[in-house]
This record gives sequence, structure tokens and C-alpha cells, in this order.
Amino acid sequence: MGAKPDEALKRPNGWRRLRQAVQILALLLFLYLLLGAHEGDTAFLPRDLFFRLDPLAGLSTMLASRRWVASMALGAITLLLALAVGRAWCGWICPLGTLVGWIPGRRPPPNSSDMPSYWRQGKYLLLFTILLAALLGSLTLLILDPITLVFQTTASVVLPGLASKIADLDQSLYDVEPLQPAVERFDAFIQDSPLTEQSFFLPSLLVALPIVVILALNAVRPHFWCRYLCPLGGFLGLVSKVAQIRYQVDEAKCTSCERCVSVCPTGAIDPDENFAANASECTTCLDCLDACPEKAIAFRGQWGLVPKVPQDPSRRRFLVSAGAAVVGAALLWAFPFVNKAEAQLVRPPGASEEELLSACIRCGECVNVCPTDAIQSSYSFAGADGLWTPMLVPRLGYCDYSCNSCGQACPTGAISKLTLEEKRRTVVGIARIDRERCIPYAEGLNCIVCEEMCPVPKKAIRVDEQEVEGPNGDTTVVFLPVVVEDQCIGCGICEYRCPVNGESAIRVFPVS
Amino acid sequence: MVQAALNALGGIQRFVKSGDDVIIKPNISFTDYSFEYATFTNPEVVGALTALCVGAGAGRVRVMDLPVSQNCEEEYARSGIADAVVAAGGQMEVMSSGNFEETAIPEGWDITSWPVYRDVLDADVLIDVPIAKDHTLGRLTLGMKNLMGVIQDRGEFHFNLGQRLADLSSLVRPTLTVVDAVRILMDHGPTGGSLDDVKLANTIIASRDIVAADAYAATLFGLTGADVPAIVAGAEMGLGTMDLSSIQVEEISV
Repeated sequence: MGAKPDEALKRPNGWRRLRQAVQILALLLFLYLLLGAHEGDTAFLPRDLFFRLDPLAGLSTMLASRRWVASMALGAITLLLALAVGRAWCGWICPLGTLVGWIPGRRPPPNSSDMPSYWRQGKYLLLFTILLAALLGSLTLLILDPITLVFQTTASVVLPGLASKIADLDQSLYDVEPLQPAVERFDAFIQDSPLTEQSFFLPSLLVALPIVVILALNAVRPHFWCRYLCPLGGFLGLVSKVAQIRYQVDEAKCTSCERCVSVCPTGAIDPDENFAANASECTTCLDCLDACPEKAIAFRGQWGLVPKVPQDPSRRRFLVSAGAAVVGAALLWAFPFVNKAEAQLVRPPGASEEELLSACIRCGECVNVCPTDAIQSSYSFAGADGLWTPMLVPRLGYCDYSCNSCGQACPTGAISKLTLEEKRRTVVGIARIDRERCIPYAEGLNCIVCEEMCPVPKKAIRVDEQEVEGPNGDTTVVFLPVVVEDQCIGCGICEYRCPVNGESAIRVFPVS
Repeated sequence: MVQAALNALGGIQRFVKSGDDVIIKPNISFTDYSFEYATFTNPEVVGALTALCVGAGAGRVRVMDLPVSQNCEEEYARSGIADAVVAAGGQMEVMSSGNFEETAIPEGWDITSWPVYRDVLDADVLIDVPIAKDHTLGRLTLGMKNLMGVIQDRGEFHFNLGQRLADLSSLVRPTLTVVDAVRILMDHGPTGGSLDDVKLANTIIASRDIVAADAYAATLFGLTGADVPAIVAGAEMGLGTMDLSSIQVEEISV
């Protein structure tokens, strides 16, 4: 018979309050770095701090690109933290862990058994599949890394979505005359913030799908993601097997009231094992410390390996996991789910296709930092191999001639750090004119905004003059734009500025 | 040089009275390069004009342009114009998109209304300070083309550019046009990017007649007003004259 959860909460909650405060601070730091990077300034902190601290992203990148990536070495700190205090990252710092913790979960009714213990294998299975795929050169499964999930979703969906909805609302309210001064003051207020109008790339909406599903899974079990799926949780869980400071229960003081079981978010405490906790499942949240009325629980140093508890995978289960991982990675490699002929996308300057697939951790820093909204997450356009890798969408934003921010923002060097001079010479695509829709060709009227805007010093668009007879019989000279192929760098300002409705009459295509 | 040009017209006092609300409209677009590339108005020229207006007792001197990028602050700073203006006692104004109003153009031959920046029409004094550049569609971009910095819907505006620039000039009617021809962009304008295309002409042109100022500027390129559609249209509408022989042209060496 177990105590009701709310009774446990009436107990002291000092640890829980402390942890919640730290979680909020960590989340605020995460958001500060994201929003600050958007505006170009994150004080003295590296804007990709959370990614640098992520050992899953770091190890995967080094495996896939077959080199030491110094910028991702800080992940060792997180591993050391796990060695010291178990999965404290999950319980105190991880932004996805914080969000998952805020969504109420369905606790199993008393006397029912928990999910079959082999479900816990899921996170190790995912972990091994990710690492194996990385070994084979693919980082596509990093879309399941928790830091990537939160950052990319915020940068590609939440922020642009919010900004464009605010812009729509702004427009509608501005039409109401009495509200105009208030709207103008609001505009001035948000002028320097990330909330100014951003283009929204509709396919990016689906980038939000995994996080929505993850949060909804709390309806099955609280912290479902952290318990059964999170590959970073799995990584830290493996290290936690030899954690130095861990949960201990004094069996002499324990009265089997089961309050600890009912408050544990990951179900790590097993009533059938005298309330011992599985070190790989415990996120060191310390709620049990508050909950136990007999003070039977303590977190203390214990030197040596943790004794085996039944939730540990048996050797057989471990081999099944490893085998499944191999199959998973092999499937991924064999079936990229893309038509290779259509897969070519226009990439940011300094990002070659090979580099992107093996070094891009799908973080979304480049999407976030691009000042013209040219860079968007490619969602599935690059195939299963290239999920969420960055692409240029010139109709939404051109690649600014005086900007080289994406390379500066990329944590792994998948987009190389180019100097401005190098970036101005880097060809990412080539513009082609659709003469059926281009106004001078199709209608005999003058336009050539594309030529006017082309930033290349010697102009990558030239004009041919043609005499056109008007309806009155008089002739006018019409300028017809022609792309100068060896000058075009594919920046896309022509496509962006073309005044034709709908699809632009001049478009940037990837170079073959 | 700016001072000398204005003195020839009778001095700044003829245009700026004490307490006037002055707007100076330079070209602050295409600031990807430094001012030596002649893609935007020379900051020293803007600074000198600002100082003259402040010295004449203007109520306030605002300097503004809405660049193609729509990013006022970045281009104001990058061009060096913001520093020059503030040092001279003026202020930069970020042009907000909410301040453009559909305005009737009663004398327009092609367009009868267009969204124009409200303040520009309300100011006591408007000084148009273009940089002289090559431009494919317009042949040259000078005083009349520079006025595009105060309108929206610029894509559509290009469809009958010469006539529409004249129509716009008939509405906006700057008090004074001061063409920055210290350096001029001879080719690959308006974006520029190559010093090979820049000619050091060391000239400032000042006039109350925007058409005449533009026509004189054209001669620095080896052209005449007749080569520039906007100038032809402006002359036909009677906004000014492009016949340089019919007006008093003072060329002063400094």
C-alpha cells in the first residue's frame, strides 16, 4: 500500500525548490544564448555552450568526421559530472528534461507493475544506433539529441512563428486608427529584439513534431523520454554505473511507506529490491530526499562499482540492443529515402555536401544567427541522410554580401569559418532566368531589379538591349537580363528581389 | 567645398531659417564597401551640410534614408554617416515602416499616388544629397533617383522609372539638391564594388533645380541630360530645366 503523492509533497521540499531554481536558471541561460546569438551578442559566453557541453553530439561528430573537434571537447565535463553525481545533468540542467518535467505525467495506479524493464533498453538502443551511424559517417540521428531538439525547434519554429504571428497582429491592429500610437510604440520597443518580423519557412513546422510527441508521451509515463528513449540519458546512464555519489537507502530506517517510489520521476526506485535505486535511471533530482519521512535516503560517496540491480540489462539484452543498433544503422545507410537527383540543395557558403552530412549536428545555430533568414532547416528535403541540415531559401532571404555569420556560429565547423573576402568569392549556386515569366522577356516592359541588386563588383547579370514596338507604334528599348555564369555566386538577392508574384522569375540552383 | 557651393547660391541662410525643421536625405544604401567606392554619399559631405544647417540656426537637423536592406541602423553606422552627423550636431532618424502614407501626387503623369514618408513632406527644409552613380535602368542615379529612399513599393516603381521619378519629384520638391560628385561611380552601379569603376571628380553641385543639378552631374559622366530618362521627363513636366546654357552655372575651384 503506497502513500498518496500529495502527502509526500507536504513534506519538506528544500531540495526540490533548489533543483527547480537551477533548472529555470539553466533554461534561462539556454534561451539567453539563443536569443543573444540571434542578435549577435552573447556577452562573454560561447553561444553554442550547451552543444559544446553535449558529449553525445561531440563524440558523434568526432566519429563521423574522423577528426578531433576541439570545440566539442567540453562534453568531457558533462561525462565527469556523471562520473561524480550520476545523471544530474538530466535532473538539473538539460533544457528538454526541464520541459518534460513541466508536463504532468500519468503515474501508474498503485499495485500495477511498471513498464516491462526492457523498455529501459530503448535509450541504449538509440545511443548505439546513433554512434554506429556516426561511425558510418552519418549524423542524421542527432535530431534525437535533446539539446538539438530544443534549440532547432526554438530557432526554426517557435521564434520565427512567434515573430510572424506578432507581425500579422501588428498589421491588423495598425489598421485600427486609435491603436496606431500604441502599435508604433510597441514596434519601437521590439525593434532590436528577435521578435521583429521573420520569414516563416512552412516545411520547418514539422521540425517541431518530435518535441511535441516527446512531451505527449508523458501521458503514458512521467518523463517517458528520459526513462526510455533519450540517447544522451543513455550515455550518461552508462557512465553513472560507476558514479561516485549515489542514492543509498538505510534499510534499517525504511518503513516501506513507498513515498520515494511515488515521487521518483523516472521510477528508478524499486520497491521489490528493498527500495534500492538504479544508478542509470536516477537523475539525482533529490525529490526522494525531501519525501522520505524517516530520513532513510542519502546521496553519498561510494567507491567502486554499483552492485547489480535487476533493472540492469543482462548480457543477452545488451547483445540484442547492440544487434538492433547495427541493423538500424545499416538500414539508414542503405535507404537514404531520397531521390539523389533531386537531393541537391543550395547550402550556406563554406558548407560542402560531404562536410554537412558528417559534421553537421543539426543544432540550428546557423538558422538562428542568419540575419536575413536565408538559412532554413531543410527538414527532409535532403533525404534521411541529411535531416535538418541547413539550406538557403533565397525567396525568404538572400545571403548578405557583407555577412559571414553562419560559419562563425557553427560549433563543429560543418560550415567553415570564412573571412568576408573568402565568403564573397564562394559560389553556392547559380542563378537562372525563367524567360517565360521574367517581365522584360515575357511582357516587353523594363524591370532588371535583379541586375540592379547584384552585389558582385563586376555584376553577375548583364543586360542585352532590345527594341520593342509599343501599342502606339513607337519603339522603346527594353533591357533583357542575362546571367554571367562565371561571376554568379548564388547569393540569391536577385531571386529575393524579383517583383514577379509567386515563384521568382530568376532562381538560384545548386551547382552540379 | 560644400560651403563654397552653397555660398555661390547665396549661402545656407537663404534656405534654412532659424527654428526650421530640416531633413537631409543622403544615399545610405549599399554600404558593403567604404566610401572610396562611391556607392553612398560621402560622410564628410553629409557632415558638412549638417554643420551648415545647425550653424544657420535650424530647430533640428535630421538625417535619414531607408536603404534597400531596410536595415537603417546597420547602414547608418557602417557608412560612417552616423558618426559624421552626430559630430556635426545633427541626429540620425531610423525610418519606421509605419510612417509611410499613401500620398496623392496631383501633378503626376504616370502615377497619381504612392506611399511616401510623412515627415519628409512635413519638414520645412528638405535637402537631397545623392551620390552620382551609374545605373543600368535609369542610366544614372542622381538627385531624382535618390528620392526613392523616401518611398515604399520600390519594386513596382521601376516599371516606368524615368516618368515615375519625375512624378515623385513633383510631389517631394526638395528645397535644395546637393550632388556629391567628389567620387562618382562610372560603371557597375548602383552596387559598385570595384575601385576601377570610381572616378575622382572632386565636385559638389548645388542647385534649387533638381533637374538642372542632375543634368550638370550627367556631364561628369560624359553624358547629357537627354541620356537620362528621369531628367528628360522632369524637364518635359516643367520641374526644371536640363538646358545648361539657359541657366547661370557657376563653377568654382576650391
